[in-house]
Amino acid sequence: MHDFVLPFGPQHPALVEPAHIKLRVEGETIKGAELVLGYNHKGIEKSFENRPWAKGVFLSERVCGICGHYHTSCYCQGIEQMLGVEIPDRAKHIRTLVSELERMHSHMLALGLVAWEVGLDTLFHYIFRDRELVMDMQESLTGNRVHFAMNVIGGVRRDIGQENYGKMAKNLDTLEERLKHYLSVFRNDSLMKIRTRNVGHLSRMKAKELNPVGPNLRASGIDYDVRETGYLAYKDLKFRAVTGEGGDAQERCIVRAKECLESIRMIRLSLTTLTEIKGDISLKLPSAVSVKEGLETVSRVEAPRGELFYYMQSGGVKPTRVRIRTPTYQTFHVLEEILKGHTISDVPVIVASLDPCFSCTDRMTIIDTKSCKEKIITKHEILHMRDGGSHEAHGHGGHPHV
Amino acid sequence: MKRMATEVTRMFEALTPQLAQNVFNMLVFPGFLAAFIIGFLYMGIVRKVSARMQHRIGPPLWQPFFDFFKLLSKENITTRDATGALATLCPVVSFASLMTVALFIPIAGLPGMFSVEPIFFQGSLFVVLYFLIMSSVFFAVAGFAAGNPFASLGSIRELTQLFAYEFPFVISLVTIGVLTGFRIVPLFTLQLPFAFFAFLMGVLGKLSLPPFHIPDAEQEIVAGPTTEYSGPRLALFELAKAAGFWVLISLGAVLYLGANSLLTFAVYSLALLAILIVFRVVFARLQIAQAFRFYWFVVGPLALIDLARVLLGFYVM
Repeated sequence: MHDFVLPFGPQHPALVEPAHIKLRVEGETIKGAELVLGYNHKGIEKSFENRPWAKGVFLSERVCGICGHYHTSCYCQGIEQMLGVEIPDRAKHIRTLVSELERMHSHMLALGLVAWEVGLDTLFHYIFRDRELVMDMQESLTGNRVHFAMNVIGGVRRDIGQENYGKMAKNLDTLEERLKHYLSVFRNDSLMKIRTRNVGHLSRMKAKELNPVGPNLRASGIDYDVRETGYLAYKDLKFRAVTGEGGDAQERCIVRAKECLESIRMIRLSLTTLTEIKGDISLKLPSAVSVKEGLETVSRVEAPRGELFYYMQSGGVKPTRVRIRTPTYQTFHVLEEILKGHTISDVPVIVASLDPCFSCTDRMTIIDTKSCKEKIITKHEILHMRDGGSHEAHGHGGHPHV
Repeated sequence: MKRMATEVTRMFEALTPQLAQNVFNMLVFPGFLAAFIIGFLYMGIVRKVSARMQHRIGPPLWQPFFDFFKLLSKENITTRDATGALATLCPVVSFASLMTVALFIPIAGLPGMFSVEPIFFQGSLFVVLYFLIMSSVFFAVAGFAAGNPFASLGSIRELTQLFAYEFPFVISLVTIGVLTGFRIVPLFTLQLPFAFFAFLMGVLGKLSLPPFHIPDAEQEIVAGPTTEYSGPRLALFELAKAAGFWVLISLGAVLYLGANSLLTFAVYSLALLAILIVFRVVFARLQIAQAFRFYWFVVGPLALIDLARVLLGFYVM
């Protein structure tokens, strides 16, 4: 059987976002995979340079539809670092609480998608039904289901009142019970096991070499979580990173489900702590924040998909450069590597188990590759044009005489 | 105009009761109209009930009818790489072969066109078997005719799955056939549970329902063989699928559960449909290799046990 290229995407039912995986297949077996990106390029990094710091908060939230709060947290944290200020404790706890809520809804989305990709629609619908509880909590706390706009430079926009506590406690109880059930389904359901165990295996050694971040790394047994540094309120909440063993699709799902349970624990603790902490939720900073020109900083937070990284360089009232490295960026070469040798039926499972967010990442990779490519191409083209041009001129000049 | 009218009257006069009944069998029941209405209704029930089981509201019961008529009204597109004639022929042959099967089954105790003497010969079960295979094969051919890698992969899977489930399915039918003289007559054979199990697995494979929705696995190969099909041709495929539901469930209700009246037939058919829905809701998708192993090394041997029981005389009617 000769091999042929199967275009997995950019439009494909298994992909929720446009990305293109060129699969070289021989029958059902995959011989090679190549990821082609650039369908979501939005030019956000460049747009940062045209607006004041405060307006950049809204822009950074639009990097991703699922983990927008992490982007604003990371962006604001960077500015606060450059200003040399520390936000009030209450603001720290609220930021953390909303972060953990968002992590839960992101992880539950990923779990649901894995269930859907293996063809178990029922589990997908169940998980998405329960995910609504998280969305409800987010709505009642922040006013929005997605894109909360909770963060401002120097704190948060909105306080969390006692009136939410009753409903939240109830929802968290239900969620804990349901998530424990889903954890056992991912662990023990016979067909789930057949489809996800030893699929997309990423060994500890290989993980160290390729270096993905977030649950994908921790599922391979490497304990790396930015939250362990204790930024925001994570130190008070006694965060413990969840690690797994084996690093296959099943383990990645289990790690995500366990992280949701850890999130529930932290949210509960955070809610009780919030009753004790009094005070402002935001620093009184001028609305047109100005940072000393030339200052630069690196800010990082742990997004659901792993370490999110912002580099910022100040140009006074505006940044001169904002560079975002989203967690999914670290997943791409892993994807190409672990797809090899599996069958086509494993592709959606592996892709979903890595939980990539192409929309977040595309913007930056494409700026990268584009600028690189353009340079090379123009250089070549210039040389080529000169050569070609002179030849042509010469030829034309010569012909009439012949 | 008048001549035409007399011609038509003469034609109707020429219809003997036998012929009239045959025409009725082919076009109304259990043929075209029944397959159309009941088949699509079955599909609607499957969608609605499984939606309710999954905490969804689901489409209305008659959604498959809407889909069918909407598709019929759409433009008929032949892609550049497709073989147009074959693409039209395949769903028609697939549907026609299933309709032929329907004529062999004495549905609800009514004598069908081919379920009365002299056509009701020894071995009509084998004819049914071949027509069922033909329907699957033409479904696969349609995929190859589409000139699309996803469709080709779907067709490869369809054929592989055919080879997988056909072994236990044939064993199961032969087991019953030994008892009935290879005719299709209402017979209660649940005393042969493995044969029934093998038949049920075969039906799941033929209708590509979970856990065997491998040939048209949406997340992997889009829509499988029908990826490139749209409009009236896709409507024909949907019709063939509805006919598949109608024929296979009827076959099960008659040959395994012994439905011999309208009431028992309706009850048993719905019971079988309920089993299919439970399978659809509970199971994830297997890989094609895993499905193959399951059919040949689990279902096949189990079916053989029942065949041996019947052949060696441990089970007497």
